[in-house]
Amino acid sequence: MPADHSAPHVRWRRWSIALHRDIGYLAVGLTLAYAISGLAVNHRGDWNPNYRISKEFVRVAPVTGAATPGVVSDVVAQLKLDGAPKSSFQPDAQTLQLFYKGKVVHVDLPTGKVMIERTVPRRVLYEMNQLHLNGPKQAWTYVADAFAIALILLSITGLFVLKGRLGITGRGGWLTAAGVLIPTVAWFLYLR
Amino acid sequence: MRIARSSLIALAVCALSASLAGAQAAKDYGKPLTLKVTTPISSILKDPKAFEGKRVQVEGLIVEVCEERGCWIKIASDKPFESIRFKVEDGVITFPLDARGKKALAEGVVSVKLLTREQAVAQAKEMAKERGTLKSFDETKITGPVTDIQIMGDGARVK
Repeated sequence: MPADHSAPHVRWRRWSIALHRDIGYLAVGLTLAYAISGLAVNHRGDWNPNYRISKEFVRVAPVTGAATPGVVSDVVAQLKLDGAPKSSFQPDAQTLQLFYKGKVVHVDLPTGKVMIERTVPRRVLYEMNQLHLNGPKQAWTYVADAFAIALILLSITGLFVLKGRLGITGRGGWLTAAGVLIPTVAWFLYLR
Repeated sequence: MRIARSSLIALAVCALSASLAGAQAAKDYGKPLTLKVTTPISSILKDPKAFEGKRVQVEGLIVEVCEERGCWIKIASDKPFESIRFKVEDGVITFPLDARGKKALAEGVVSVKLLTREQAVAQAKEMAKERGTLKSFDETKITGPVTDIQIMGDGARVK
């Protein structure tokens, strides 16, 4: 490799651009995953970003008296469910809950009203959310730390990609200031 | 340079795979369990003041999970019609919805609070929001002050 005889400020700019480029490539996957998950999790008051939950309402014959194992198998037979539940629970004398993989059956015993609640993880989005919120912990904590450091490097090196009128001393500077202003104003408005 | 870059990418992929593989096998949440003896949930519910502030380990069926954040579970008692809320710090532990119907061995500190009706309504409303049942929430069902008993948890094993 030929020796680099350029001036020091040219050399560090070349390094900065190279870092920005390569970290940018490396960070694309995680940035997209975290950003998509961020959008999904931000609105969790309006929807469940992890699971698709559907509720089906049906009826069985009303049950009087205690929910014996016979009642459980009778409900299972009436609803044509896939075999015995893995477990069951009665939060009160009137309600019976049957737990299946990905499904909970709530039975109101005196009326026979049944709600079958199916829960299916949102494919890809569930995994993205788990990674974004560091669900796995363990080694993922270090991957997420490395990604955070990569983002810091990306933002700093990004400031010096361009020189002159469009760079940090010109238009880039104004845009940077506007970007800093957004969280600052939010802090004043909502967090002080 | 090209080899070094390829190695770096391979290393990152390995770290990612190892981490995800660990995640699939993990059934422990939060801090490791430390107590050797479990306390029946019915004993805590029968005399909560005797357990207030004490660290306990409880065991039972998970009958409910916070839908919104996975930040609490309800564990069935050893006696009929009873359960206790096991609350964890938001984001530190996230219980998956499919934990419902599985057995939990969980540890934490018993918290007992006397809530005024207004506080009880606010708490029940928040729980209904987390359950996804806010639309059908009926605050008239809460008629007076409520003694809120829960375990502020920091570790659990879901089987």
